[in-house]
Parts: sequence; C-alpha cells; structure tokens
Amino acid sequence: MKNKGLGEFEELVLLAVCILDKEAYGLSVKREVEKHSGRSILLGAVHITLYRLQDKGLLRSEMGGNTEKRGDRRKRLFTITDAGMRQLRAAQDVRRKMWQLIPQLKLGL
Amino acid sequence: MKQRKNRPPILANWLASKFINEALLEELFGDLKEIYEDRIATKGKFYAKCMYWVDTFHLLIGFGSPQLFKNKPAIMYEHYLNIASRNLMKNKWYSLVNIGGLTVGMGVCLLIFQYTYFELSYDKFHDNFQNTYRIITDKTQNDVDDVFASTTYGIGPTGKETIHEIKEYVRMTPQFGGTIVTNPDKNESFSERNIFYVDTTFLQVFNFPLKLGSKESVFDGMYNIVITQKMAEKYFGAENPMGKPLNLSSKGEGLAVGNYIVSGVLEDLPINSHLQFDFLLSMENYMKLGWWGQIRERDNGWKKSRFVTYITLEESANLDLVHKKLNHLTALYRSEITARENIVEKVRLQPIADVHLKPESYMHSGYVTNYGNIKNVEFFLIIAFFILFIAWVNYINLSTARSMHRAKEVGIRKSIGAFRKQLISQFMMESILVNLTAALLAIGLAFSSLPILSGIIGKELELNILQIPMFWGWFSMVIIFGSLLSGLYPAFVLSSFKPISMLGANKTSRAGNTNLRRGLIVFQFLTSLLLISGTYLVHKQITFMKRQDLGLDIEKVMVFNGPERFLDRSTLEAFTTEVARHHSISGVAASGSLPGDGWSKWNLHKPGETITEGQFATPLGVSLNFPEVYDLEFLAGSSFVQSMSNEDYVVIINEEAVRTFGFGSPENAIRKTLIKPGKETEEYKIIGVVKNFHWLSLREPYGPCLFVLSVEGAGFSYFSFKTNLSDIQESLTHIEKTYKSFFPVDVFDYFFLEDEFNRQYQADLQFGNLFLAFAALAIFIACIGLFALVSFSATSRIKEIGIRKVLGASVNNLMMLLSSEYLMLISIAVVLAIPAILYWGKAWLENYAFRIDIEFDLFIIPALVLVLASIITVSYRTYATAKANPVDSLRKE
Repeated sequence: MKNKGLGEFEELVLLAVCILDKEAYGLSVKREVEKHSGRSILLGAVHITLYRLQDKGLLRSEMGGNTEKRGDRRKRLFTITDAGMRQLRAAQDVRRKMWQLIPQLKLGL
Repeated sequence: MKQRKNRPPILANWLASKFINEALLEELFGDLKEIYEDRIATKGKFYAKCMYWVDTFHLLIGFGSPQLFKNKPAIMYEHYLNIASRNLMKNKWYSLVNIGGLTVGMGVCLLIFQYTYFELSYDKFHDNFQNTYRIITDKTQNDVDDVFASTTYGIGPTGKETIHEIKEYVRMTPQFGGTIVTNPDKNESFSERNIFYVDTTFLQVFNFPLKLGSKESVFDGMYNIVITQKMAEKYFGAENPMGKPLNLSSKGEGLAVGNYIVSGVLEDLPINSHLQFDFLLSMENYMKLGWWGQIRERDNGWKKSRFVTYITLEESANLDLVHKKLNHLTALYRSEITARENIVEKVRLQPIADVHLKPESYMHSGYVTNYGNIKNVEFFLIIAFFILFIAWVNYINLSTARSMHRAKEVGIRKSIGAFRKQLISQFMMESILVNLTAALLAIGLAFSSLPILSGIIGKELELNILQIPMFWGWFSMVIIFGSLLSGLYPAFVLSSFKPISMLGANKTSRAGNTNLRRGLIVFQFLTSLLLISGTYLVHKQITFMKRQDLGLDIEKVMVFNGPERFLDRSTLEAFTTEVARHHSISGVAASGSLPGDGWSKWNLHKPGETITEGQFATPLGVSLNFPEVYDLEFLAGSSFVQSMSNEDYVVIINEEAVRTFGFGSPENAIRKTLIKPGKETEEYKIIGVVKNFHWLSLREPYGPCLFVLSVEGAGFSYFSFKTNLSDIQESLTHIEKTYKSFFPVDVFDYFFLEDEFNRQYQADLQFGNLFLAFAALAIFIACIGLFALVSFSATSRIKEIGIRKVLGASVNNLMMLLSSEYLMLISIAVVLAIPAILYWGKAWLENYAFRIDIEFDLFIIPALVLVLASIITVSYRTYATAKANPVDSLRKE
C-alpha cells in the first residue's frame, strides 16, 4: 500500500485539497481541479478518489458546516495527512529529477 | 411542466439511498444538491436534472452495494436471477419474441403517454391557469343553438368593476385580414396574419416570458408593438430589435396601422398554448385608430361580439355565483338587442385548461385555429394498452406452451424440497426480468421513434414525461402490473405439476390450459383485425371525400391574395382584365372567402315575415364572374351581368337555400327577395339558383348559402383563376408583374386551391396514419407470438409428425394438421369482429355528413390481410417441420 505511486488524477485531487486548505469537500475540489486542468470532471469521480485517498491514509476527513444551498446537509471536509504531504513531495521529486535528466538540446523544443 | 419548486429528482435520491451506505449519504446528497442549484442557475433546469441523474448513477457505480438483498435470503434470489437469465439466454428466439414484443408494446405506450401528456399540458404553464377562464356565449335564435367563444367589448371591464370576484380581464381580437409589416431600415416587407390586439394586462394574466422589455411597461407607448423571438429574427436578424421601428399597413379602413416601435420581444411561444400569435398591439390602438372605436361610443361596447375575453377569478370565488352575476350583467346591457333579434343569450366560463382539449362546435371559434380532441387522445390511449396487452398475451402463451420443457426442472426442484411458493416466486422473477428489460429498451425505442410520431401529428414533441416523478410511478405500476399479469398464470401452472408425473417415463400432463391459450389468441387477432379494419375504413372515407364531385370546380384553380386595400370598380376591372390577358388564364374572379374557409351566417327572412321566422344562410361575397370560374351549375335563372352593381343587392342561392326558405322549386325562387333584419331597405333579389355544392369539407352537410354580388369593396381577400398547368410559370410571372404594377406595396402570394381545400382533411389523415401505425404494430406483435407458438408446438410434436410421415402422410397433410387449429382461431376472430366493426364503423362515420356505406369489403379485406399474414407466419415454420426427414426426428431418444 505505502509505496504505490500516485495516479495523475489522484495527484491533482491531493493538490486541490492542499490549495483549498480546510475548505476542501467534494464539490469545491471538483471546481478547483476543473479550474486548473481545464477539463470537466464528474462529481462521482472526485468522491471516489477522495475516499480512496482516505483509505490509503493520505487524507483525513471530518463532517463540517452546512448551508441552506445544500438542503441543510453537512459537508465532509478533507485535509491532507503527513503521509499525504510526503507522497506529494516524493512525486514532485521524481519529476524534478527526471526533468533534469532530459538532454539540454531537447529542452529548447 | 412548471413545478412548484426546483427540487432535484426524488426518484434518483431514493435509488441512491437504497444502494449507498448511509454514512456517506449526507455528504453526497449535499454535494449533489449544491451542484444541482448551480446548474439550474447557469444551464437551465433540464440540463441540471439530466446531470443529476448522471451523477447519481456514477455515484451508484462507485459506492453502491446492493442493500436491497442484503438482509434477505439473497442467495436464493441471486440463484433465481441466474436461472432466469440463463433460461433467457438459452432460448434466444423465445426471449427475443417476448422481450421484443413487450418493448414495442411499452414503447408505443410511452409515446402515447407522452402525446397525452402533451395534449393535457395545454395552457397549464400559466401560473394562474386554474383561476383563468375564457368567457363563452351560448346563443339561441329561432331554435338554432350556437356557441360563440367570443364576447362583447364591454363585458370584461364592466365585469371587473361590478363583480368583485373578477381580479383581472384581458380582451383579445386579431387584426382582420392580412397586414403588411415593413422594417423601414432594411426595406423588407412580409404579409402577416397573426397580429393580436390585447389589453395591457395580457402579459400579467398569461405567462409568456419576455426576453427583452418589461412586463409592466411594454404597452406604455401608444405605438408600441411586442413581437416574438421568431419575428425578431425574421425582421431584424441578429440585431437588437428593441426601439427599432416597424411599419404596419393594411386595407386602409378600420385597422390600427402606422409606424410602431418594438418595445418587447417575447420568447417563442410554447407549442402547448392555444394562443398562437406573432405580434401584439395594444387594445387602445384598436379603439383609437381602428374601425371599432365607434363601438364604444355607440353602445358602450355591448353590441358586437368580436372580442375574446379571458378573466382571472379570486381563488375563493364561487363559480356559480360568478355565472349568475355575469348573466345578470349581460341581461342588463343587452336585453334590448337580444329581444329585438329574438335571441336567448347566456354566458359561461370555460377554464383555459379545457380550451384546447374540450372544443365545442363553435360558431365563433375565438380566433383559435387548431383545437385538439379529447376523444382522440382517449382512443389512442386505449389502443396503446391493447397493443401492450397483446404483448403480454404473447408472454403468457409462450411460457405456458413451453412448460413441458421446464417440467423436469420443476420436478427436480419439488422432489428436493422446494415449496410451491418458492417456485412461484422463481417464475415471477423471470417475468419481472423480462418486463424490466423490455421497459428499459422501450425507453430507448420511444426516444428513437419520437420524431416519427412528431411527424405524424405535426407537432414537435419532446420526451419530457421522463422528468416527472409521477410518470415513473405510473411506469413502474405498468411494469409491476404487467409482470403480475403475464407471470402469475404461468407461474401457477408450472408450479402445480406433480413431480412424479414429470419425472416418470410417461409424461401425460398436458401443458397448461389450451382453452385459455386459444381464447387469448382469438383476442389478439380480434384486436389486430379491428385495427386493420379501422385503418381501412378511415382511408376509404378520406379517399371518398377527396374524389367526390364538389359541385364546384376547384381543380386547376389557382388563388392569389388580394391587395390590402379598398378596390373601386374601375381598378378591379382593369386589374382582372389585365391579368386575364395572358393566353393560359381563362377567367379571374375575386371573392371574400374560398371553398374550405369561412362559414358565417346571416339571419334572413322573406318580406312580410318577422325576424322570429327568419332562417340562417351563409353569405359569400363574390365578383361578377365567380360562377363561371367555379363552373356553378344553374338550375334556374342566370348569372350576374355586367350592368349590375353593389347597390342592386342581387344574389344567387343554392338548392339548399331554396329548401330552407321554402320557395318550393328553383324556378319559384327567381325574383323573390330576402331581408336582413336591421337593414330593411336592402332587399336581396334572387336572380339565379345553382345546384348544391360542397363549400366546406364533406364532414359538413350542404348549407343554405347565397352569393352576394360585390363589384367593389375592401373584402376581396382572394383572386381565383383557372389555368392550364403547362404554362404555369409563365402565367404566374405575368400575374406577379401585373400585381406589382397595380399594387406596388402589397406582397404577392399564391397557392393551389385544391391543396388548400384538402388541408381540411389533415386531421383525418393524421388519425388514419396513426391508426395504420398501430395496426401494423399490433399485427407484428401478434404474428411473432404466433410464430413462436407454432414453433414450440411443432417441436413438441416432432415425433408424431415423423411417424405420420413414415405411415405415408404428405407434406400438405402435415401442414394442415399443424396449422388448422390456428386458422380456425382466426376464423373465430373474424366472425367476432364483424359486429364490432359494424358498430364502431357506423359510429365513426356518423361524424361525416357525406360518407361511404359499410360494405362487405370492410370485413373481407382486413380479414384477408390478417389471414395472409398469419398463413405466412405459420407455414414458414410448419413447412420446415413437415419437410424434415422422419429419420432424424425418430432416431433421437
């Protein structure tokens, strides 16, 4: 479980959770990811990913504030765990290292 | 379609709550609701609803676990489901017939539901439709009852003032005749007919949303005009039409013409509105600029009934009381007029939701051109259910017939301890599976065949019933009912077998009750037969109506519209002479109406009689040579001559009028006169009598009518001429050129009279086509059922046939053996169908004054079609069985 790398979509979701900082729940994550990646995503995909990340121990969650707009239902707010942060950093490191290995000539493209 | 609140689909929530862990639900529903609200705000309700469903299903796939079966003996059900689906897969033919038949049946039902829903939805999109009424006037004069959907000018405002239950009123009257509308910026003109004058409250009483402009102020200026989106595009293209000028011009007299400013643009009107218009003008203009301004001054607006009045009542209003008060009001203001003309008059309120579907035989239709008919809707609903029933019958027949094949399975289940109840639920499960699969496919089928239905009925339908929770309730009811109906009997039959007789060597038990099966087959064929006969009857009647000699020659007659202005005698004559100069045009006649439209009535009486003895006849204003162009056949007297003028008041009447006014014979009628009450100085002199002719469709009986000579006037809406078809282009160019030189601002438009006349049969044709579609489906479903049934009986008798063949039976013999039973059943159906066809055929034909007789071919031809179809079905299968080599069938054991 631990050392499995992050999927691309998982990484986006994790990043969105970090950006949103305590305001991350299904719909806000969906909007955030859509905003940055420019593609449209199904709500269900976000939910499923959030729960999978929680199962992997990269996220934790608690029930939070309700609003009129939601029909008085509470949100589940997600925050990133230390393990999650480590994974993100690791992913970032891998990329940076690999980028550095690309021969200079080709970078000009 | 308007719902009280923007609630997300309840059914989706219910579904989700069944399959998704409760702990997750609060959060998921919250998110769903939030995004739903967002989507409604940005992309509209329909999109939001659809996406809600998509999202729900997606969540179901992601988080769902079937809780439905969790705390029940799930293994058992899963097992049943397994067996059921394996059985369906194994007998592919059988499953195809069952599911296919049910799919078609349910698909048709869905479409008809949609059609019914659409027809019932007319005018229900108005917020206050439950309290909005149209005022109807019932008049009885000289023992003739007429219904008018129109009222006087006065009843609306006076009613609002004096009757406190009336909250608001709106009057409406159209601009009569064509109007030329010009966009001066582009210099483009079109001839328009759908222009309404309305009170300024129109947009408050009715919910026609404005795209541009505000509800309260669109009629503020005297020369304001409100147009629909369609017209905005037609005249202004992509430009913003607000504040732009539009010029209206018309036949000079009586109408509010002038330079208008666009003050509002309406969204395109919903098609389920009985009010269909393109332009709205303020009623004020009609009064100030138009002819009818005099109305108000003269009689306070209580004389002429040219307005349609809609009112909204207080919610708490007592309808009877309002009726009484309105009638009191009418009596107060109109008693003098009604007494003078010997009219008994009553007004009543018609809910606007009834306007479309419950039309009456209006003398004045309230400017609505296209009424629906609740009877047709009910009728189609019944037929749809019959088709569905035929499909269910297929299922019952096939599963009982097949019971022999499953006897072993049932025997084993019973001997290892299955209860009967369990067996029944197993077979029920199969029927539910089949019905459910069919239902899902049916939705797809309905979607894909909706354009066909729209094409037949000529209205663009959407499958919007799928958005209504109520519909899903009904639809699941249908599925449950169908599953029970088609599953219960086979389930009981199959589970009743004794294990010993099924597993033993001699399987003696006969499969199911064959009498019931026979009865059901007879029922199927009876239904199909009735549908075929119906189709045949409708088409025969329509053909008859189209071929019938009208007594008027409308073949090769072309018509173009008259100019929108007053024509004096010299202009009219110069124009017609110029038009007729072309060699292919033999004569030009002008008239106020054409065969196929207009049927107003005058009350006329003979000199010396009083108004109470008067009779009604239809006046038709025509020019000098109208009788020649239309080839009217004179029985007595002669046609109009050049020396006559409007002031001579000469008329030509028809036979029916001779009878109505009691002249005795055509010869006697010549030189007699008729008087129109109130205009005693104008005595109409009869100079000729023509044979009866069909001015309207053959639905209507001959009516008394009189051609009134008119050599000048503003009422020449149409010019008819006869042409030989070879030079049509050339003659049209000639006419258009002449037209343009005489009337440069008018728009030239032409059509063939015969096409226009036959348009009256449009509704009948639609009815016939729908009937045809239904009949074809019914036969199709019944035949595939028959095919499957014959196949099963052939396979189960394969040994018997083998032995018979060995003993010397010929192929013909064997085919007779296999199919004679079914042929007999069809004969029974034919015999049973005859009285039903006679009864309903007669009842339907009663609608037509001129109709075909019910002849022998009405029974023979449909029966032949049916017999042929079933023989083809049956013999295809029996031939193969009878041809088979007996060795093959006897060797197997």
